Amino acid sequence: MQDEDAQGSTTAPRRLCWGGGALLLTACSGPQSVLDPAGRDAEVLAVLFWWMLGGAVLLWLAMNGLFFYVTRMKERAFSPQAADRLIVFGGVVFPTVVLAVLLSFALSEMPRQRDLGEGLTLRVTGESWWWRVEYRTEDTETPVISANEIRLPAGSRSELELAANGYIHSLWIPALGGKTDLIPGRETRMSLEPVTPGEYGGQCAEFCGESHAKMALRAVVLPPEEFAAWLEQQAAPATPPETETARRGQAVFLREGCGACHAIRGLGARGTIGPDLTHLGGRRTLAAGVLPMSRAALEDWLRAPEAIKPGVRMPAYGHLAAADLAALATFLEGLK
Amino acid sequence: MEKARHTSLWQMIAAPIVWAVHFCAVYAWTASACAHAGAAEEARLGVALMTLAALGLIAVFAWRAWRQWDLLSENDHVHDAPTDGHRRRFLGHAGLLLSMVSAIGVSFVAAPAFYIGSCL
Ligand code: HEC
Ligand SMILES: [Cu+2]
Repeated sequence: MQDEDAQGSTTAPRRLCWGGGALLLTACSGPQSVLDPAGRDAEVLAVLFWWMLGGAVLLWLAMNGLFFYVTRMKERAFSPQAADRLIVFGGVVFPTVVLAVLLSFALSEMPRQRDLGEGLTLRVTGESWWWRVEYRTEDTETPVISANEIRLPAGSRSELELAANGYIHSLWIPALGGKTDLIPGRETRMSLEPVTPGEYGGQCAEFCGESHAKMALRAVVLPPEEFAAWLEQQAAPATPPETETARRGQAVFLREGCGACHAIRGLGARGTIGPDLTHLGGRRTLAAGVLPMSRAALEDWLRAPEAIKPGVRMPAYGHLAAADLAALATFLEGLK
Repeated sequence: MEKARHTSLWQMIAAPIVWAVHFCAVYAWTASACAHAGAAEEARLGVALMTLAALGLIAVFAWRAWRQWDLLSENDHVHDAPTDGHRRRFLGHAGLLLSMVSAIGVSFVAAPAFYIGSCL
């Protein structure tokens, strides 16, 4: 019975959604949709949305039905008493009751979203136009540093500490939960409880400058054991390059001074101005969700980052020899 | 005082003023209780007390507006004549309706504290 209920609650809205016409169809499901929840917090929001929408549609129909009734179907004068009664009940009592019920329902759903995390803590810092991400668990001493991707274990609630450097940003992963602002000089928080493993889209949701629209991120929800293995792997230093080309790429990396801004743990680069690149090749996307993680994309990025993200705080390396650029891309892609 | 009733707007807007003051006070109190001490229970208790006080005050104003409206003795709620009596009763009528709206507003403003038990 309980199972049936749980299923009913997710399929009924979806069916409604599918009924909504071709235009709506495309917007209903997908990796970055509020209406296709993959976590507890997003479920609450989706349920709220459907109830509010249902209420609004009913009210709209009732209002317009009434209007139709008095103007087209029953064209006659009302007695003053009937008019008074209509105003008092239809204009005062009814809306008050409806609003009170909807408000109570919405508020009763909210406390769950404020629960504390159960062990894993992420610190997400909004930078100009990328995300610095640090993972802490009870048994890691130093945080595990990554960027531009958030991985979470399914089935438990994780705490997210939010900070910002320079400008206000907002972290929003619609399939997992609501959004929260990242504010310079302040610490905000949210917690997320993903349910369904998979990959979801996230986006900066507060205008923050030239490349605000290109400040996205990928959220990857993994089964708990896979997550633990992944985190352990992330904590390890980078694997030294194995092929001739990759070694040449590493030499270019050192020669060009990329290490002033980027860290590659284990290979001597310690910069903290840009994203940590220790396990760059293992990420799903490049440059905060705007490019696929591929050698070609890496080359494009290094050649002219400004062309991809206006206002980017990384110099272009288009002046490098083509072979050097290719080697650099091979080296970076190999940092799994 | 009683005589000036037909000229004074205060009686009519007293309840909305209580709502506005309650609104500001609840926001300020919650922010300060949560920011300084993280004391969610204290914040909620304060909101509850302020809400009871506000509803009590609004009830008093509603009662006075009801008396000023004087519906039962006249049994007429149309007050459109340019006379002192009509003006007085109009202001009472409006005051009563505004009291009702204010009471609803105060309850809705306080509702989140009823449901949400933390400062987070
Ligand atoms: C002045 C500091 C600076 C230097 C020098 C620099 N970068 Fe960057 N780099 C950045 C910043 C800042 C970003 C983030 C840009 C964004 O997404 O808005 C970035 C992003 C990147 C990314 C994408 C990271 C990700 O998480 O997707 C790669 C790859 C990269 N840089 C490689 C290099 C290489 C290779 C060099 C040297 C040839 C280099 N960078 C030199 C600052 C720098
Ligand atoms: Cu932004």
